[in-house]
Order: sequence, then C-alpha cells, then structure tokens
Amino acid sequence: MKIYDQIFNVVKQFRKLFSPGPVTNADVSGSLTAEIFLIVSLVLSAILLRHVNVLLAGIVTLILAILLISNIPLIPKFKIEQEDSLEKMLFYAIVTLGLLATFMYWGGNLV
Amino acid sequence: MAQVQLVILFTSVALVVIGLYSAIFIDNIIKKIIGISFIEEGVNLFIVAIGYKAGGVVPILMPGMDTSWFASNAAYPLPFGLVLTSIVIGASTLAVMLALVMVLYRRYGTLSTKVMLADTSKREEYDE
Amino acid sequence: MNELIPLMVIVPLMAALLISAFSKLNKVTKIFAFVVAICLPLIPLLSNYGLHYFGGYEPILDNVTGMIYHPAITYSFTFLQQIFIGAVGLLTFLVIFIYLTKYKKVSGPYLFLLFLGTAAVTAMMLTDDIFHMFVFFEILALAQVGIVAASSIDYSYEMALKYMVLGSIGSPMMLLGIGFLLALTGSVNVTDIAVAVHNGLVDAASPVFLLSLALIFFGWLYASGMPPFHTIKSGIYSKAEPHGAALLQSFTVISMISIVLIMFRIYASLPIFEVLIVFFSILAMILGVSLALTQTDFRRMIGFLAVGELGFIGLGIGLGTNFSITAGLFQALNEIIITALLFIGFGAIVNATDEVDTRKLGGLLAYHPKVAIMLLIGGLAMAGVPPLSGFQSKLMLVQASLSCGFPEISILAIMVSIATFVVFVKTYYTMFLKPKPNDLDLEGKEVPKAMIFAMGVLLIIVILLGIFPDVVTGGISNFVGGIL
Repeated sequence: MKIYDQIFNVVKQFRKLFSPGPVTNADVSGSLTAEIFLIVSLVLSAILLRHVNVLLAGIVTLILAILLISNIPLIPKFKIEQEDSLEKMLFYAIVTLGLLATFMYWGGNLV
Repeated sequence: MAQVQLVILFTSVALVVIGLYSAIFIDNIIKKIIGISFIEEGVNLFIVAIGYKAGGVVPILMPGMDTSWFASNAAYPLPFGLVLTSIVIGASTLAVMLALVMVLYRRYGTLSTKVMLADTSKREEYDE
Repeated sequence: MNELIPLMVIVPLMAALLISAFSKLNKVTKIFAFVVAICLPLIPLLSNYGLHYFGGYEPILDNVTGMIYHPAITYSFTFLQQIFIGAVGLLTFLVIFIYLTKYKKVSGPYLFLLFLGTAAVTAMMLTDDIFHMFVFFEILALAQVGIVAASSIDYSYEMALKYMVLGSIGSPMMLLGIGFLLALTGSVNVTDIAVAVHNGLVDAASPVFLLSLALIFFGWLYASGMPPFHTIKSGIYSKAEPHGAALLQSFTVISMISIVLIMFRIYASLPIFEVLIVFFSILAMILGVSLALTQTDFRRMIGFLAVGELGFIGLGIGLGTNFSITAGLFQALNEIIITALLFIGFGAIVNATDEVDTRKLGGLLAYHPKVAIMLLIGGLAMAGVPPLSGFQSKLMLVQASLSCGFPEISILAIMVSIATFVVFVKTYYTMFLKPKPNDLDLEGKEVPKAMIFAMGVLLIIVILLGIFPDVVTGGISNFVGGIL
C-alpha cells in the first residue's frame, strides 16, 4: 500500500504545479509521464558509464534508481529549479561555466 | 619587460572574476550590468595582451623602414583589430540592456532584480 | 557565379539598413521587403559552389614551412551551406510574407531585425573565420533580443533583458576561448587553426587548448540553448510573436550547427570533445521533453520541445562518425522546417482565439480544420512517424548510435521520440478534440490566409524530404567526408 499512497500523494502535489488555474486530467497524466520519463531516462543514461567501468556503472545506476524512486514526486522540485527567474538562470549558468572550465583544465586529458 | 604582460593578464583575470561575482551576488540591475560589462572588458584586455611584444614597435610600415627589421620587431596587429570590433559590439549590447532596464524601471519603480526579473509565469495580473 | 556568395549576406544586410532608413514610405517599404524576401532563397540556389576571399587576398604559400595561410576572411559555399541558407531564406520569405499581410502599416525597425538576423546566420554558416563568426553571433543575439522585445506579448521585455544578461556572460566567454586559440596559433582562420592542430604545431593535450574548448563550448551552449540555457531559450520563443518565433528557432539551429562544425574541425582529435557534446545533448533531451510535458502554455511547450529536439542534432555530431554527423545535420534541417511549421500553426490559433492556456481551449477542430490537420502532420513529423522527414533523420540517428556501440543512446532517442509524441498528443487533444469550454468565444475570428499558405509550403517540404531523403543526405554525407 505504501507505494500506492506515495503515488497518490504525487498526484495531489501536482495541483500546486498548475496554480493559478484549474488542473485537468490531461495535465496530471502529462506530469506523471514526465515523472516516469525522467526516472527511466536518467537511469538509462547512467548505464552509459559502463564504457568507463562496468562496476561503477552498476553501482551508480542502482544508487540513482533508489534515490530517484524514493524521492518522487520529482517534477515539482525539478520545475522549481528551472523557473524563469534571472537569479536561478545566472546561478546555473555560472556553476556550469565553473565546472566546465575546472574539469577541462585539470581533467581534460583523463578521458 | 614580460612583467607588463603578466600584470595585464592578472588584471584581466581579476576583471572577469569580479564580473562573474557581481552577476550572482549583486541585486541592483544597473550595478549587475556594470559588473557584467567588466567580463567583456577583461576579455578585451586579455586579447590586447596577446599582441604585446616586449620592445616592439607600432605595426605600421612607414616609408623608408627596413621590412625585415619591421617584421621581427612590430607588435602583432591582429588582436588590436579584433578588440576594436569587440568593443563596438560590447557598447551596443550595453546600450540595448540599459534601454530595456529603463523601460522596466518605469513599469516596476524599482531596480531590484528579485522583483523585476523574477519568474513571471505565476503572476496573473499584468498592468501597463 | 561565385560573385553571388558575398551577396547572400550583403543583400539582407543592405535591405535591413535601407528599410529602416526609409520606413516612413509604407508602400515602397512593403514592396521592397517583399522583393528582397523573394531573392533570399533564390540567391543560394543560383550560386555556384566555391570560395570567396574578401579583398581578393588569395591564400599565401609559406616557402619555409610549406604551409598555406589564409590572410583574408574566407567564405566557403558548399552543398551544406546551400541547403541551410536556402531553408532559412525560404523561412524568412514566409515570415515576412505573413508579417506584411497581417499589418496594414508595417514597422521598419521590425523588418530591419528580421533581415539582420537572416544576414547574421547566413554569414555564420558561410564563414571560415572564427572571429567573424563571433561578430555575427553577437549581431544575431541583438537581432533576437529585438524580435522578442518588439512583440506585444506580456513580459516580453523582461525575457529579452534576461536573455541579454545571460548573453553578456556567454559571448565574452566564447571570445576568451577564441583569444586562447589566437594566442596558441596566431590565426583566427579555422582552416589554419585546424591544420596547426593536426600537424602538431599546437600541443593538443595542453591545458590552455583544453580551456579554450571549454570556453567556446560554453558559448555554444548559450547559442544553442542547451542546458543550463534551456529555460531562457524556450522563454524567448514563447515571448516572441509566433512568426518571429518560427524564425528565431531557425536562427538557433543554424548558429548551433555552424559553431559546432567549427569546433568539430578544430577539436575533433580530442576524445573529451565528443563526450561533452553527448553529455549535454542527453541532458537537453531529458530536460526539454520532461519540462514540455508539464507546461500549460502551448507556446512554451513547443519552445521546450524545440530545445529537446536540439539534443538529437548534438547526439549525431557527438557520435562522430560520417553516418551519425550526416544524420545530425539532416535532423537539423528537418527541425528548422518542422518547428517553424508548429510555431506558425499554433500562432494561427493564438491569432484566432487570443488565448495561450491549453486549459481554456477546446473544440477547435470544428472551427479551424485546415490548421488542425496541418498541425497534426507537423507534430507527427516531429515525433518521428513514417513516412515524414522527422522519421528518416531519427531512424538514421538510432542506426548510427547502434553501429557506434551505444544501444543505450538508441533506446534513449526512441524514448524521447515517444515522449515528444505524448506531449504533442496531449496538447492536440486539449486544444482541438475535447469539448469547447462555454466561455470561449470563437465567432468571427479567422486564421490569416498567409499563415495557412506558409504552413502548406512547409508541409510539402516535410513530406518530400520524408519520401526522398537521399536528395539531401547524399550531399551532406559528401560534405562530412570532407571535414572528417
């Protein structure tokens, strides 16, 4: 029953996503699809790590799957981080720039 | 004389870092734009520094100059040309940004980024 | 007729300047803009393939080292440039046609921005000079901001300013990367830099060279709207007028492929380059499509879908084989046309209903059947349903990733296609098929005929490319063979 309750709560939380305005069933089913799509695609892309190391890929995939499934609903959290405010956009842009430059300067030859 | 180039390079790095800092941490949009334009100035300074040559001459071939002496002593002219273009572009970008800020200041009555450029999708009403 | 190569840039640029200078003469401006718009797709079709050296400075052979240097800004025009410039020229013509028929009194500055953007992407596609590309990239950013700010949609100024602020971080970083390359090689000509890298004159493993890749790559992320810039990119699509958005997304796609091809020519020997592109493409696909699923504003939804589809292009280029790059570039051509079709089609609905929220729409099939059917085919093409053009390029991408030994990427690509299909079907259902809400007034509002004409033209191209993909893929494959 626990997982069922959890999924039911997910649907309830989607209501906040679409405020202001009513929530239609098409929107909720779309958000549920997004939820499942997000989990499956992230886990699937974690499998790509097997080209680096098979053991690493297995561990990362398992941990990622457990983390993602135990943290549903993901989409509300996910959407809040990607809203239209300049603060968040600038923050992520500069963090990406920093990570990219650091990684390339010191680790660009590792691959 | 290589220290000159080193000092210029450090200055340009400092300008870029200040710009990135102000992009995240300063709330006033005008100050933020001034800070961000530091990034561009830093990059321009860096490109000028590339063309620096210790003890070099201005890269203009005057009549009567020995061409082989000129070729080995003139500074590298390409970066200066590039920076000139880049400054013009930077100025026009800055002008467009400040024009937009002017329009938005009239609408909101504040220069705070948190108010002016927050997420707009949740707001219902829109007043001209 | 090699003289036509620079004219591809000069004609729209001159037209932009003349129109903004004489915009008081309404009738003359209209006729002039229409004539120039017709010329735009015709010039690349009539021109011969070849190189153009500005100022007539031919390449110089250095007798000591035996290397060839390019002192002039060089435009190179091949089959790839021809189809992409032709496509964006056709799109500009359709957009300007829609604009001219929509308003009695045309705005000179707006036409100026449209032509300026077209000239900028044409130059980016043609040029062989990395700094020249940067200059036009900045001009393009200004034109894009202008097109967004000129729209009458709520909060368009805010979105334009956000794009500009993010741009003034992204573009200087790209310039810094170009500066590093200039410092390493002493040249800004891409051919010269690539030769220097491949001949070992530049140490490809040096941190400075790698840092220049990181910085130009960051600029590329900004240009193409890959994460972390996917929110702003979809935002500016949703805040521009629909026909403007159709043109904006084609600008994005062309600037994306022109920068990535230049990066590919310089950095292809580094394995990290392909890893980076594949990583960000997968991220763009996942984020774009999953966010599109949760949108209620349908313009924003297509914006996110357009960003997600860009991931396919990146994937094709990141895999790095001849077949996969051909597939990626073919996907780019398809995306320009299909997304433009969707933006114009949904824009027609905005025109007819004054409503962008899918929750307040419904039952439009009975009122606008032509638009509904054309949008349906466009959406199916985007999701990759045979025999439309999106299917051909996505099938090629799936095959390419399978043959490279990445079955996960194939599965992911298929899943993203399915999710795209879900997004489209959901929106289509809520807009066209579900019963009409009572408070939605549709009487007496027509869809402009010019929009239906434009959609029809684009639809014909989608179907033709779906049935005869070889017309394009053969030529692209030859081009890719030249740069590999």
